[in-house]
Amino acid sequence: MLKLLAAFTVLVASASSALAHKPSDSHLRLEVAGGRIEGTLDVAIRDLDAALAIDANGDGAITWGELDDSTSAVNSYVADRLAVTRDSAPCSIGLRQAVLVDHSDGPYWSLPFEAECEGSSVSISYRLLFDTDALHRALVRVHGTHEQTLVIRDSTPVTVLTGASSSLHDFITEGVWHIWHGLDHLLFLSCLVLPAVYTRRGQPPRTLRDVALSVLQIVTAFTVAHSLTLVLSTLDLVRLPSRAVETAIALSVVAAALNNLVRVVDARWAVAFALGLLHGFGFSSVLVDLGLPSHELLSALFGFNLGVELGQLAFVAVLVPALYVIRKTIVYRAVLWGGSAAIAVLATIWTVQRLIT
Amino acid sequence: MFRWASHRTLTDERSRTERSEPPRSKRRTLLIAMSLLLLTAVMALAWSAPDVAAQRGRHKLTDRNAIVINVPRRTPEELAARAASRRGVVDITQAVAIAQAVAIARQDIERARSLSDPRYLGRAQATLAPWWVLQNPPPDVLLLRATIKQSLHEFHAARTDLDQLVRARPKDVEAHLTRAVVATVSGDYNAARESCASLAALSATLLATACTAPLDALHGRERDAYEQLAAQLARTRVTDPALRGWITTILAELAIQVGAWDLATSHLRSVLAATPGDLYALGLLADLLLASGEPARASIVLAGHEEVDGMLVRRAIAELQARGNEADALIAEARQRFVAAGARGDRIHLREEARFVLDIEHDPRRALGLAVENWAVQRELADARLLASAAVAARDPAGLALIGGWVTATGVRDVQLERTLARKR
Repeated sequence: MLKLLAAFTVLVASASSALAHKPSDSHLRLEVAGGRIEGTLDVAIRDLDAALAIDANGDGAITWGELDDSTSAVNSYVADRLAVTRDSAPCSIGLRQAVLVDHSDGPYWSLPFEAECEGSSVSISYRLLFDTDALHRALVRVHGTHEQTLVIRDSTPVTVLTGASSSLHDFITEGVWHIWHGLDHLLFLSCLVLPAVYTRRGQPPRTLRDVALSVLQIVTAFTVAHSLTLVLSTLDLVRLPSRAVETAIALSVVAAALNNLVRVVDARWAVAFALGLLHGFGFSSVLVDLGLPSHELLSALFGFNLGVELGQLAFVAVLVPALYVIRKTIVYRAVLWGGSAAIAVLATIWTVQRLIT
Repeated sequence: MFRWASHRTLTDERSRTERSEPPRSKRRTLLIAMSLLLLTAVMALAWSAPDVAAQRGRHKLTDRNAIVINVPRRTPEELAARAASRRGVVDITQAVAIAQAVAIARQDIERARSLSDPRYLGRAQATLAPWWVLQNPPPDVLLLRATIKQSLHEFHAARTDLDQLVRARPKDVEAHLTRAVVATVSGDYNAARESCASLAALSATLLATACTAPLDALHGRERDAYEQLAAQLARTRVTDPALRGWITTILAELAIQVGAWDLATSHLRSVLAATPGDLYALGLLADLLLASGEPARASIVLAGHEEVDGMLVRRAIAELQARGNEADALIAEARQRFVAAGARGDRIHLREEARFVLDIEHDPRRALGLAVENWAVQRELADARLLASAAVAARDPAGLALIGGWVTATGVRDVQLERTLARKR
């Protein structure tokens, strides 16, 4: 069952000589998406040996054969001592095929598992190894509505996600986080805003008022458009395949960048609106991934969108004044043409990547 | 892959030496041809690499005898005893149950010590779990419980157990000795003297002398302490190599304190000759080499012991100072270990971490914070030197006052400490 990666590990383990001497840790990762929980539990082979005497002949060498023979013993050990509950109802856990992975202190038995169960809160009852190693700890990382890490020190069950934990504040943070980390949205916005301070030769210079007005138009159009599609798709009224959406978003960045190099559309607010519709679909995939119960959907939508707007306003608030200051210099031209060209190239690469993966 | 690369270098070397210089244009053609050939070779290798790996994987797959990891050997008796212990204890007052648990726990504590592997401490504690929370566990359990707590730097809790133990067993030599060690480390010198006196009263003269020597040395009588302990060791027939090693290590520490580093080195070398796995002695030797400006030799001495955090940090410092090519990897590894310990919430590596931050991260402020935190827990000479170095580097009056106050109060004299503190102006 767990052979393929194990064989790989044998090679790796023999290559590295210095395995760290440290107290016993296991690593439990949980991915909570709606009613679906995916997890991985990594337990050190040495610890399993202490609990289950995997080195059955006591010769001091745990062989691949001894490990293989222990598969069912390990599985039932884990099944007996690891439980996940949602709203105090137990989830039935399906253990999948184990693999061996290396940690700093040696090989670990890595056991993926999954559970299907609805509910808002998630609790873990972890009771492995404490009776064979009092200094054992389980380092838990949960990814659900937000990222959480904790250390389990004894057999007492712990609640890792509470139904109420996903507050408005969390969603706002998630929105800000998303706009800042999803570089494509910010680059799209940059392409639209970059020419706002540009003055064509022979025309009167643009005043601060003109600049502010045109930026306001663009940002508003983008906001209205992506909010619209965000709501539509989160409420499941419109559904598009996520790969197509991601590719289209990358293409929209290419288009916006090219429009700065070869002016096709003059009304950039219109571009912001039309292509902004695509970005809204992209945002919604984040909310869908969080797997929200329906009663939280409204606050999630509101908070997330607010976060996105705040993040984007902060960006514009820094970018536009900076552009305004340098608008008459050669630097600005370099940023406008060079930057747009660079973004066009980058976004083209994204487009291709998203198409083929 | 490796062999292939070195082979290529060899042929390159030969082509340069054996042939005469061809004309420029020919050389360029040759260069292009060779690059193309190389490119083709690399591409071919990359293309076939997954297949090679898969074949190797498949080969190993059938090999049920391939070793995944080594663990300590266990006799059938031990396997049976441990299996019984795992099933749990029915009656914790039963003498047989106590004796069995104590034997298993002792073995794990011994493994933790000899392998410098903290994992076995947790196992020993788990074996003693039925007695762990008792107010008055059996004396044998009390001693092991104190030993485990001491190893986890829970000196206060260890002292409570040991105080109770010496009351219950006033003639237990090991109990008095452990109590003296714990009291010395945590800076309670009166209690330590009391225990050493008990050892003398039990006519364990060599142990009593070894017990008081570090105490005397912390109070300005390091030369007398050395003379007395050396004389007592010469006078006594010691058959246990572990005991001889322990006492010789104390002699080495006293010699380090007075600046007789050659003498200290020869003591440490003799300990390591008898017990090469004695990492405490090895650490002292490496520190001595580092202090004498010989980081490259320190690095060699420490090589192969990086699995233990204290040795890893020392070797990282040594490689960094010697501009060795393993410095970056060792530093990254050490950093990762501290992060891992932090993730567990462990605070028993304060001394190593302070040293790492001071000598590698060059952040004396943060190092001083750690050194002060460490000083609250343990007060050995090594901790004092670290605190002094961090306080001087950070030019921190409070830190200097803390170490200065201790030096004045104890009257301790130490060559390295004095050298460090002399740098403060």
